[in-house]
Formats: sequence, structure tokens, C-alpha cells
Amino acid sequence: MAVAQPKLEKENEDCSLLPLVHDIIKCMDKESQDVHQELAKLKAKIQEAREQISNMPGIDSSPQEQQQQLATLREQVHTKNQLLQKYKSLCMFDVPKAS
Amino acid sequence: MAAVAEKPTKERLLSVLDDLEVLSRELIEMLSLSRAQKLPQPGEDTQILELLVQRDREFQELMGVAQQQGKVHQEMQQLEKEVEKRDSDIQQLQKQLKEAEHILATAVYQAKEKLKTIDKARKGSISSEEIIKYAHRISASNAVCAPLNWLPGDPRRPYPTDLEMRSGMLGHMANLPSNGVNGHLPGDALAAGRLPDVLAPHYPWQSSDVSVGMLPPHHGNDFNLEPPGHNKENEDDVEAMSTDSSSSSSDSD
Repeated sequence: MAVAQPKLEKENEDCSLLPLVHDIIKCMDKESQDVHQELAKLKAKIQEAREQISNMPGIDSSPQEQQQQLATLREQVHTKNQLLQKYKSLCMFDVPKAS
Repeated sequence: MAAVAEKPTKERLLSVLDDLEVLSRELIEMLSLSRAQKLPQPGEDTQILELLVQRDREFQELMGVAQQQGKVHQEMQQLEKEVEKRDSDIQQLQKQLKEAEHILATAVYQAKEKLKTIDKARKGSISSEEIIKYAHRISASNAVCAPLNWLPGDPRRPYPTDLEMRSGMLGHMANLPSNGVNGHLPGDALAAGRLPDVLAPHYPWQSSDVSVGMLPPHHGNDFNLEPPGHNKENEDDVEAMSTDSSSSSSDSD
């Protein structure tokens, strides 16, 4: 878990837009010609984030709704397992094959 | 807050991203204007910056939530596959149970029909001995087949003749007059009883021999062809299915 947390933090920092904004402000202070380039980067990053969000699975519902759906699915699997177990424990008939 | 929490994560992420875009654009425009005009803004840029930072933090949190939801979604997909497999197993089991039910229903129905038939047969049961005796009687009287030595002109007939009928129980009960109703014998000869020896009726019951196995003397039910009082001494004929038993006939064809 300790290893996963720094990785998660790094991933979160990757999606932060503040470093790019900071770079733009620095270029503006320096009156550098790279301002336009940095602005383009910011736009591209925002667009990339939009596409990434559109492609991410499982975020069409809120976390609470998703947990409810998960609980329902688990209950379904449990119920059906019980049902199958119940019928398999009955005496089975040997169904003769139609000749 | 509850209303915000119920919004889908995707919607919230896109909303925050839009806010970030707008705020970053405003901040950059404000800074470029202030540098161009050389006029310091009264803390407005700070306010926007704070908002930007707050939105960025919110965006990062939401992205973390979205990643967690992605993992949960994978688990849900696994569970859905399991549910599909269980559904398929249940349907297969249902099909087998239906088949078994059909087979059992057919077997039970056939068994019931057989039991009905057995019950019906038991109610109408007849002793096999009686049937065999009856068959012997019929064949002994040459009712089904002519005797081997029968020739045209033989007065014997495969049916009871007039004399035999009148000699039997029915004849005695009805008290029929003795006349040659069947036309086989002249009425005078029949009435007088003067029959030639060759035409004298030889009834099976007139035999002096007694067949022990066939007709018990006290067996008095059913096919009592002989008149009461006649002895059953001629059982050899019956037993041997012989052609010796003859019936008197009044007509020689």
C-alpha cells in the first residue's frame, strides 16, 4: 500500500494543470517567445484530459451508485450459487438419450 | 452536497476541467493585461489563482476516484460473467428437469392404465379349469369339427338335435311336446322312441366309465348340457376328445 500511494500521487500530479500554468506565467515574466508554445501545451493537455475522461470505464455513475450495483451483483451470484447447489444436492435422474 | 455526490463522476470531472480551463485562461489574460498596462490588479489575480489551485486539487481527487471506480468496474464485469454462467447452468438444469418430469408423467400414466386393466381383468376372472372343461364339452359334442368317421348320411349333427334338447333341462322346464320339430326324424319314430340302434343317441353322459379328472360329479354350475339325473359315466369321450360321442339325429342327409 505504501508503494501504491506514491504511485497514485505521481499519477495525480501528472494530471495537474498547475505546472503548465506556472510555466506560462514564467514565460510571460521573461517575455519569452515560448509563451505561445506553452499555451499550446496547456490546450493540448486539457484536450487530452477530456479524451481520457471520456474513455475511462465505470465513471458513468457516482461511486455510491456503483457500490450499490456491485452489491447487487454479488448478491445475485450468491443466490444463484445457492440455487444451483440446492438442485445439485437433490437426487438426479438419469435422462435416457432418445434413440 | 448530497445532490452533488449523486452526479456521475464523469460529469463532475468534465465540469471541473472546464472550470480549470476558464480560470487558467482568465488568469493568463489578466496577467498579460496587467503587464501590458503596467497596472497592478487589486488582488483579483490572487483570487483567481486560489480558485485555480482549488479546482486543480479537486480535479486530482476526482481522477483518483475515477481510477478506483475503474477497478470496481472490472470487478463488476467479472461478476456479470459469473452471473451469465450461472444463468446458463440454471437453464440447462431446468431443461433436464422438464425432460424428467415428462418421462415420469408418461410412466405414471401408463402404470395407472395397466393397473386399471389388471383390476378389470381380476373382476371378470374365470377359472381356467372351467374354460378348459367347457372347451372339452364343445369339442366332445363334435360341434366344431365332424367326427373322423362321419360320412354323408350320418344322422349325427354338430348341433343339439330335437331329442337332445327335449332331454335336457330346458326341454324339461319348458315341457315341450315331443314332436319332430327339427325334421330330422319321423315324428312317430321319435315319439315312440323306437329308434334304430345305429341312430340311438349316445350321449356323453351315458357312458359307463367315469372320468375322475374331468368332471366332478358335484360340479353343478355353468354348462350343464346333460339333463339332471343323468350320470356322468361317459367321461372317456370327453377326456379323449373322441369321435365316439354321437348325437341322435332325425335326419340323414
